[in-house]
Amino acid sequence: MSSETTYRPDADPIPSAARPAATPAPFPPTWALKVTMAVTGSIFVAFILFHLAGNLKVYIGAEDFNHYAEWLRHLLNPLIPGSGFLWAFRAVMAISLVLHVYSGITLWVRARRARGAHARRFLVRRLGSRTMIWTGLIVLCFIVFHILDLTVGKIVAAPGFAPDDAYSNLIHSFERPAVALFYGLTMALIAVHISHGIWSVVNDLGGTGTRLRAVVFALAGAIAVVVAVANLSIPIAVQLGFLTVG
Amino acid sequence: MRLILEVWRQASPQAQGHFEPYEIADAREEMSLLELLDRLNHQLIEANQDPVAFESDCREGICGTCGIDVNGTPHGPEDNVPACGQHVRSFHDGDTVRIEPFRAAGFTIIRDLIVDRTGLDRIIQAGGTVAVDAGTAMDADSVLVTHEQSEQALDFAACIGCGACVSACPNGAAYLFTGAKLKHLSLMPHGRMERGKRAVSMVAQMEHEFGPCSQIGECALACPAGVPLSAIATVNAERLRAMLRHRDN
Ligand code: HEM
Ligand code: FES
Repeated sequence: MSSETTYRPDADPIPSAARPAATPAPFPPTWALKVTMAVTGSIFVAFILFHLAGNLKVYIGAEDFNHYAEWLRHLLNPLIPGSGFLWAFRAVMAISLVLHVYSGITLWVRARRARGAHARRFLVRRLGSRTMIWTGLIVLCFIVFHILDLTVGKIVAAPGFAPDDAYSNLIHSFERPAVALFYGLTMALIAVHISHGIWSVVNDLGGTGTRLRAVVFALAGAIAVVVAVANLSIPIAVQLGFLTVG
Repeated sequence: MRLILEVWRQASPQAQGHFEPYEIADAREEMSLLELLDRLNHQLIEANQDPVAFESDCREGICGTCGIDVNGTPHGPEDNVPACGQHVRSFHDGDTVRIEPFRAAGFTIIRDLIVDRTGLDRIIQAGGTVAVDAGTAMDADSVLVTHEQSEQALDFAACIGCGACVSACPNGAAYLFTGAKLKHLSLMPHGRMERGKRAVSMVAQMEHEFGPCSQIGECALACPAGVPLSAIATVNAERLRAMLRHRDN
């Protein structure tokens, strides 16, 4: 046994006529891409939960919410000066996003190629598994929109964007029905993506224990539901007039 | 019982294949799907036509030679049963049953329902073996294995190598197959000596010809040996272990 991969030793005419056995090894290796997906995906899930806790402060009131937004900017001061932590955090997120999207698309292309010309029927009831690339790409569009809307305050932001008033920006944005609908739909899609994503993480990081797998499977569904319901409630509350600018 | 069979006919790997409809007027419920194909072939031979080429050997679910897609499902409508153990009673009088070869880019069609599954053999060649001295058998009790461990190893050694997992997979992946072998050998004292090397080599070979796993779960439903889905996680578990330890064992 050698660490190089082995090739077909005999000269059987049938497979070589149709397909050379010595196809080049995929690079980067599939297993490494899957581990990258799992690590970056987990970072996103952790971020989403953290972000959600922050979002829910919108129900406490404008002051609390803005105070939290301000706190984020100066996290770990004075250890890390200014908004150093925020920028380091943004860098990690950006790198993770690039890696996640690159790996996701590469795996998707490899999967399509390995499947061959004949489409498989959709047998298993796990909807999420086969829509990861589509829910993922829509989430990517959402991320761009969301940052322009509420962080940068350009192009798609509601009129009257004020950098220091995160609360009003949020309410004004969600008062636009189309935007509220778009946020709502993407929250549902993110839930579908992470419900299968968290289950994938346990597989990609090599979790083989029966109990571990059962727990993560259940947790994946639970986290997805919590994220969807809690985040969805905000645009709905704004549309119904429960949350307004003071 | 009357059945219409739509069977994939393809003369050679390069030829264009197509579905050909045939009528079986006297199918019986207790026939296996392979016996149904035998019946069809008798009919074809009597009519002086080419019989349908398909593979089978033991016809009792232990060899892994049979393998066809039936209405888009590897082996047939029942979960975890090989084609030789699937029966005509799953269908109703007058049904149309679509029979085609296992489908995956890694499986070239040789003729009709026969595909080239040597890609799986190459994964085994890459490390699905143990290096032990042949010759006089060693004393049975000289290497001890617990009962639980040997039972668990047997669950994964149950794989009959039919390739249904690959055909079932929308990604054309061979994770269930590769993971079953990696797990089986990692649980055995002899297999453990080359555990790291084996993971590197088998996973690389698998990636040559088969796709990435997306945890869809079709494979474990199709598997006639009932290999558990956790085998797919074993692939990355063993590969990551080899990366972190960087040792042969
Ligand atoms: C907030 C954003 C996102 C979160 C929380 C997230 C989370 C996850 C997680 C946890 C996984 C499982 C990783 C694994 O395979 O172990 C995953 C897989 C995946 N993600 Fe994302 N993701 C996000 C954004 C995206 C984006 C923007 C894309 C765009 C291409 C994407 C595409 C995919 C694909 C294709 C997979 C499946 C990989 C496979 O199993 O074959 N994701 N995601
Ligand atoms: S013919 Fe041996 S398993 Fe079906």
